[in-house]
Amino acid sequence: MKFTHMLSASAALAIAAAAPVAAQSGPTDAQIMADEASPGDVLTYGMGHRGQRFSSLSMINAGNVKGLVPAFAASLGGEKQRGQESQPIVYDGVIYVTGSYSRLFAFDARTGAELWQYDARLPDGIMPCCDVVNRGAAIHGDKIIFGTLDAHLVALNRKTGKVIWNKTLADYAAGYSFTAAPMIINGKVIYGNSGGEFGIVGKVEARDVETGELIWSRPTIEGHMGKLKGADNGITGKLNASWQGDQWTNGGGATWLGGTYDPDTNSIFMGTGNPSPWNSHLRPGDNLYTSSTLAIDPDTGVIKWHYQTTPHDGWDFDGVNELVSFDASIGGKPMKLAAKADRNGFFFVLDRTNGKFVSATPFVSKVTWASGYDKKGRPVYVPENRPGAPNADGSKGTTVFAAPSFLGGKNWMPMSYSQQTQMFYVPANEWGMDIWNEPIAYKKGAAYLGAGFTIKPLYPDYIGVLRAIDPTTGKIAWEYKNKAPLWGGVLSTAGNLVFTGTPEGYLKAFDAKTGTELWKFNTGSGVVGSPVTWEQDGEQYVAVMSGWGGAVPLWGGEVAKSVQNINQGGALWVFKLPK
Amino acid sequence: MTAEPWSRRGLLAGLAAGWSGLALAPSARARPLDTLAAGGTLSIAVYRDFAPWSWRDAAGTLKGIDVDLGQALAAALGLKAQFTDFLADESVDDDLRNMVWRGPLIGGSAADLMMHVPTDRRFALQVERCVIGAAYARESFAIACGPGADCELPPPQWAGKRLAAELDSIPDIWLSGSFGGVLRAQVSHHLTGAAAMAALIEGKADVAMASRAQVEHALAGNAAPHIKRRVGPIPALPSPGWDVGLAVKDDSRDLADALEAAIERMAGDGRLDRIFAAHGVTRVAPLGSV
Repeated sequence: MKFTHMLSASAALAIAAAAPVAAQSGPTDAQIMADEASPGDVLTYGMGHRGQRFSSLSMINAGNVKGLVPAFAASLGGEKQRGQESQPIVYDGVIYVTGSYSRLFAFDARTGAELWQYDARLPDGIMPCCDVVNRGAAIHGDKIIFGTLDAHLVALNRKTGKVIWNKTLADYAAGYSFTAAPMIINGKVIYGNSGGEFGIVGKVEARDVETGELIWSRPTIEGHMGKLKGADNGITGKLNASWQGDQWTNGGGATWLGGTYDPDTNSIFMGTGNPSPWNSHLRPGDNLYTSSTLAIDPDTGVIKWHYQTTPHDGWDFDGVNELVSFDASIGGKPMKLAAKADRNGFFFVLDRTNGKFVSATPFVSKVTWASGYDKKGRPVYVPENRPGAPNADGSKGTTVFAAPSFLGGKNWMPMSYSQQTQMFYVPANEWGMDIWNEPIAYKKGAAYLGAGFTIKPLYPDYIGVLRAIDPTTGKIAWEYKNKAPLWGGVLSTAGNLVFTGTPEGYLKAFDAKTGTELWKFNTGSGVVGSPVTWEQDGEQYVAVMSGWGGAVPLWGGEVAKSVQNINQGGALWVFKLPK
Repeated sequence: MTAEPWSRRGLLAGLAAGWSGLALAPSARARPLDTLAAGGTLSIAVYRDFAPWSWRDAAGTLKGIDVDLGQALAAALGLKAQFTDFLADESVDDDLRNMVWRGPLIGGSAADLMMHVPTDRRFALQVERCVIGAAYARESFAIACGPGADCELPPPQWAGKRLAAELDSIPDIWLSGSFGGVLRAQVSHHLTGAAAMAALIEGKADVAMASRAQVEHALAGNAAPHIKRRVGPIPALPSPGWDVGLAVKDDSRDLADALEAAIERMAGDGRLDRIFAAHGVTRVAPLGSV
């Protein structure tokens, strides 16, 4: 809007002189940092760097949301219709969305007309773990920036879609990929790494947003050297403090989901993936910093603190989930807090100034691997629920039923925190897994002692559950049950509303206080993206991507039954109230 | 061969000849023999960085036992071999999905034939969309030692020695996990068995464990006279060895039969043994068939 105002104001002047100025203008570091407080645009993944996914808008509210209708839909076209996990970016009358197969689209935010489209030219032989998804872009100045499946970071001119810079992050031929939305903190593009399960070490990196040049790099596994402007910048953790031998050299801990940022403490919060190899009996120790959240200084890449949600993980409880900052009083004391709904089934609240444990409460109905957390924030394990070591004679080991399954009490899909209700809204799934060691497994053409597993829904009539959680008590205020697993992000607004999508194709709106379903619309394919809202020309808009995919369709058995009739798609849907 | 290779008769014939798998309805992607003959090429998937079976030399040329055998199989069918060397996924099931029955998600297409697939019947029955068979060799694991270690000692007596293995392989699991894990901190992890053997030969390790073919290939032609192979058995090893063969799509049974016939001929006239010998490996006949 600002841009169009400027253009019309300058129309009386020489357009030729005004245009280059306009092309250079765009969201500044300060505007990006203030995104949470500016309802007229969506400049960050998470609708604010803290990742609260909350909007102060209330033109659409619990009283009138039942009248919400589509303003337009825009197809991503082509044959490449797979999971659309993107969150739209909205600025200057343009909606930017990423699509499956590393595509980026600019649509007119008033008409849905496509302004331009960028298709990354992907080489053969890329091995994305789960699906060819992308979760969103980052905007800064004249640039819109996103990562591609062949592990490149690409900055495009946001007006034309032309490439400004294109940097190789990692070698796709070694299995590396990229699917997360990058974030931009004070002129630095900051992101994690993904793919390359085999022999990978997680890391977080920062690049100059203007040039794409690397500024710092921080490995997530202890023993590895960090870098700042090409010079050594201190080892992560302490060598061999929680790993034996050279296991730290291939320890895992990928940061494939990216992170959030807290301006109060100037910290990036980055979740790390599970350790490798899968068999925990081969790697005694906490295996730091896998399955953890790291607080990192965005200026230097130095780790300030860590909290490990699953020490010595044995269930594939990847710890990448987002840590969302919020302020609340605990026991009458105002605190700077942050919360994480972990794959392991616990909802964590931490003191975000120092990473100290505050509480952990289950947000799913069944957790078998730990009975809870002690006061220091260590899990109280249930030892007999740890999957066994492979038998020396190669025979099949006993089967353990563990919940949540490795797909998690919550997977990648981001939760929301409502500043209005002061509750978190968590897209959860109720499933467990039979897991056993598998004597007739093969890997790279050779015999292998792998794990066999079967994912099983816990209940016959639903897997997905959207839960409203009071972070100061861990109590669940309400829940909405969904037949298929939930796989999309959540949005809350000051209109006492919570929005989320379902694989069945609906975007739904709920009363934020009671959980009553107030509105739904079938978008024609599964919704696994994250909805956003903004104000434009005096009206409030809601947008979400539709397009079924992600990891769920990969799993067979009982889970498949809940999603077998869902078809693929690829479209941006935009809604508003009729005038 | 009839025009309906996926018929019940074809399935039974296939099973009788040693192929495992289930018959499904023909798909549009079916590449039966007559289609292959019309196109003139046989696309073959081999593992990347997998010496001595399939790897690229410094000049980028694809080499190895599986490559030579693939060439010979294509020639036997009157076709030209066209290779794809692919990155191994987390399990062979995944590899079969990526390279045989579905194809990669991005770019490229499924191959007509994948080399080096274990022919374990229980495993094959789990992989419904492929037929697996035509075993051409038996594999197992072996240990070799440099001058710093006595290779015939009971393994727990290698305390303090530097051990090398491919990351997350049975040799790794065995060295790191056996005997109460006493050797775990001594194990160095490498991305391939060939790299573990290279570490041994270069004196960076005292003991290396890898597949027998990887050990023999690394020591071929007396290239490393200071390295000795363990002669005695490997105690408490969770694998007695396994047969490797070929995989094709479930709807390409006439191709499967033709390939099996070609393997049988090459086993009978010594060509298979010669292909292995050219890479310094003694072929061990599979237990399961041929």
